[in-house]
Amino acid sequence: MSQLETAGTPVLPNTELYGRVLEFLHREAELLDTYKFDAWLALFTEDIDYQMPVRTTRFLTDGEGFEDFGLMAENHASLTTRVRRLETEFAWAEVPPSRTRHFISNVIVEQDGDSIEARACFMVTRTRQDLDYQMYTGQRVDRLVPDGDSFKIARRRILADQTVITGTNLSVLF
Amino acid sequence: MTATPTAPSTRLRNGDALEEIVRPQEGLISRRIFTDPEVFELELERIFGKGWFFIGHDSEIPEPGDLVTRPCGIDPVVLIRDDEGVVHAFLNSCRHRGMRIARTDRDNATFLKCPYHGWSYKNNGELLNAACENHYGEGELVKEELGLIPVAQLGSYHGLWFGTWNEHAPPLDEWLGDMRWYMDIIFGRTGGLEIMGPPQIWEVDTAWKFATDNFTDNFHVFSSHHSLVELGMLPNNPDFAAYGHMIVPGNGHILHFVQGEPGNDDYRGLGLSHDLRAKFDEFLTPEQKSIADDHGYSAGTIWPNFHWLQLISAGDMEAHEEAFLNLRMETPITPTRTRMWSWLAVDKDATPEYRKKVYETYVRTFGPSGIFDQDDMENWEDCTRANIGPAARRYTLHHKMGLKRATATDWPGPGVAYPDSYGEMTQRSWYAQWLTSMTGGNGNGRGA
Ligand code: FES
Ligand SMILES: [Fe+2]
Repeated sequence: MSQLETAGTPVLPNTELYGRVLEFLHREAELLDTYKFDAWLALFTEDIDYQMPVRTTRFLTDGEGFEDFGLMAENHASLTTRVRRLETEFAWAEVPPSRTRHFISNVIVEQDGDSIEARACFMVTRTRQDLDYQMYTGQRVDRLVPDGDSFKIARRRILADQTVITGTNLSVLF
Repeated sequence: MTATPTAPSTRLRNGDALEEIVRPQEGLISRRIFTDPEVFELELERIFGKGWFFIGHDSEIPEPGDLVTRPCGIDPVVLIRDDEGVVHAFLNSCRHRGMRIARTDRDNATFLKCPYHGWSYKNNGELLNAACENHYGEGELVKEELGLIPVAQLGSYHGLWFGTWNEHAPPLDEWLGDMRWYMDIIFGRTGGLEIMGPPQIWEVDTAWKFATDNFTDNFHVFSSHHSLVELGMLPNNPDFAAYGHMIVPGNGHILHFVQGEPGNDDYRGLGLSHDLRAKFDEFLTPEQKSIADDHGYSAGTIWPNFHWLQLISAGDMEAHEEAFLNLRMETPITPTRTRMWSWLAVDKDATPEYRKKVYETYVRTFGPSGIFDQDDMENWEDCTRANIGPAARRYTLHHKMGLKRATATDWPGPGVAYPDSYGEMTQRSWYAQWLTSMTGGNGNGRGA
């Protein structure tokens, strides 16, 4: 699976567009960490294609190890189901809810016409009940489309660093 | 004088006998066996050192040289198809200093070359070259004796490869016994299955036996997965998964066939599409076909830690229900930490559209992110934490449901069958085999 959707023109950090993308990604992270899941869901286009591939350990000549098989394989309906599930009182993996912190860094923005690719490193920490931290790290590759003076996410690839997920489960959202 | 072989001690260091703290016939299982390091050490030797373990499927290594790296028990192996097409499972460890030989999850290799000092092995395990051979004296390096270490026995059924480190274990066919008849229904129903993609792998802070216990437990579904009832994705009926049978075919293997609520025709033909169901006639006996036709769900366990789940589910609130076949395995790392493996299998003849639906339904509901499976891991972890303390371990867990349940008289398959898929008969048979393995010499005596 190729990481990069488009090879667009770099958008430099001192530009207005870069600033708007960065602010968008930071606000998205804040929505997740403050349990505003419906507002988060509203950031995605109706035809959102959201994938988290399984990563395998491979030699360098065989690529990065991302496979055509997912840890998550979501569309709008299934993301909505995940959010609706969290709103029930019975989603035990998140009831009581995990406390998460989504750290977003190393943001690279490229533009190709109307389409914007935003690549960012993520570190998601999670603690729940009286338990220690769990951590998920990797890179997110998003395709953003204009939506008024903001954006919507039309495609997301969540590229994990781990081949063995050590965070109990993937009940938190990325 | 030759020493008389003695059966392994069944007493733990504090004097408790395993037979006293695990009493399957009474449905009483000590909490202690789930977290005690002493019990865990004995399990590594008497269960993981002696039983048969799933390693991988034929379809994961289709070409000569293809390999995957996996555990057999808990020891790492490389499952590899050699240049002649013969499949081997070798300890993934160099004969020189024990360096890991195959160092990726999957690969294709004619030779396996050790990074440490450069010994290199053919893909049939033979040692081909050792570095600096000219520095070895006469008789110091006998290459014929230094091939990669194979598992003691390797066997396959319906493309599923199993290995054991125990040369005295009964052959795989004999060990699977009556379970093969049921494996035909799941793995042979349409002429063959293949694994889609690599396994999902994740680690859970649980005793491995809680995950195992869960796979033959149908009555947790309504409570554990109640969020799905709320969303309308599961029937609002606590008994909905009770319609069916549980079967004890012997040797600790266990299974369930569930019909689903009466009157719902989705829960027939294992939930497969009609073009696939049409093949039952060709590959199944009339008795096997009648079971496949009449049931929607099946959960099976090959003793001790390999499972299947043939399930029907919707991937989201808007989707139609699809059948999928999930293969699972638990590998213990410590008494209270377990590596989970999960594969998706699909019928070889399934159409691309069907495969896509099956894939999406599976990933959204099962595996580490699955909206069903997530909550199971929460249960296994909390069970583990709450059973570890000195107070808890003095008490037993309750496995009494169906102690007096009469057996089914009209079940067309082998083994002991019980009507009703809610009950702890299968769990008790699993713990009976556990006890037999932990106390019975070669670890492969027959359980109840
Ligand atoms: S450890 Fe493999 S060659 Fe020395
Ligand atoms: Fe479950």
